[in-house]
Amino acid sequence: MTTDSASAAGDPRRLLSDIRALAHRVRLDQRMTWAALLVLAAATLVGIPFDWFGMKVTCYPDGGCQYARQGLLYYWPVAMLLTYAAIAFCYVRAARARGVGTRVLPYAITGAATTVVFPAAWFGLRLYLSSHPVPEGPLPYWWFLLDRLVMPWAMVGVALLVLAWLERNVALLLFTLAYLALVLVLPLNIGIGPPKWGLRAQFAVPQLIVGVVLLLGALGFRAARRRPR
Amino acid sequence: MTAVTQTPDPDAAHPANGLDEVVHQRVRLGILAITHEARRVEFGYLRTQLELTAGNLSKHLSVLEAAGLIEVEKGYEGRRGRTWITLTDDGVTALSNEIRRLKQLIARVETTNDE
Repeated sequence: MTTDSASAAGDPRRLLSDIRALAHRVRLDQRMTWAALLVLAAATLVGIPFDWFGMKVTCYPDGGCQYARQGLLYYWPVAMLLTYAAIAFCYVRAARARGVGTRVLPYAITGAATTVVFPAAWFGLRLYLSSHPVPEGPLPYWWFLLDRLVMPWAMVGVALLVLAWLERNVALLLFTLAYLALVLVLPLNIGIGPPKWGLRAQFAVPQLIVGVVLLLGALGFRAARRRPR
Repeated sequence: MTAVTQTPDPDAAHPANGLDEVVHQRVRLGILAITHEARRVEFGYLRTQLELTAGNLSKHLSVLEAAGLIEVEKGYEGRRGRTWITLTDDGVTALSNEIRRLKQLIARVETTNDE
């Protein structure tokens, strides 16, 4: 045993804390949280016109309107796959440039898997409604919650939770929990705003809020990264 | 090493007995810890993080490679030569064994101090 190891062995606590500190430094160097949030913000904001122009709205003389958000259905599955591929690419490239490997693949796979949930839930609902009457009266709150949970913005939150776990990133975990709370509170499935705005604008507002929150998150994480450690 | 007076216990060998001479060294343990976390690490990154000279790092890498704990892969990125290090399965096992032994050692010292 060398002198070095002999002295270190005298303090196993120090050795263990050294190992943890080195592992933590590697994890910090592997992080590209801001880039992931930026790409997700871009995907959310780009999705707004798809929802706007892809929405089929039929209004009746009694003032009631029926709508179908076809744009969402066509845009998000493709956008999610491209988004997670772009994020994985950014992570691998940045990690390689820094001289380390990365563990982003589980995140990308989760992202891609959650992508399937949204269209599957949509098709499931359509199948159900084609053979069952639309329930009368106010729908229970859990129905709205479930509806919001399977929408693409909540799926983004689920994938961010996986990223926070992979990166052992407490700041991202807190951000994601706040983001998920926002997504579940915001009426992304029924729109927000005064009736005179029209359905399309009402649906665009919560998406804009989500996109801006992700963008601000990206800027915040970027600023935190630039701060000298 | 901290002197610990223990009643001999045939069922529990002292954790220090199981420490691997190759792994139980500050720099080599650091190399294994970084490589494990990074999955794959570049020579320059290791040198910076461990604050070593290239020659000193190379010596430690040779010891670990000879013990079959790491794999060294040399290549080029553009015109720049790059050396990448990955842990072998034996390396992963050796690192987790070392961490387990260190924890046992700490636990044993704490138990002795409490008595």
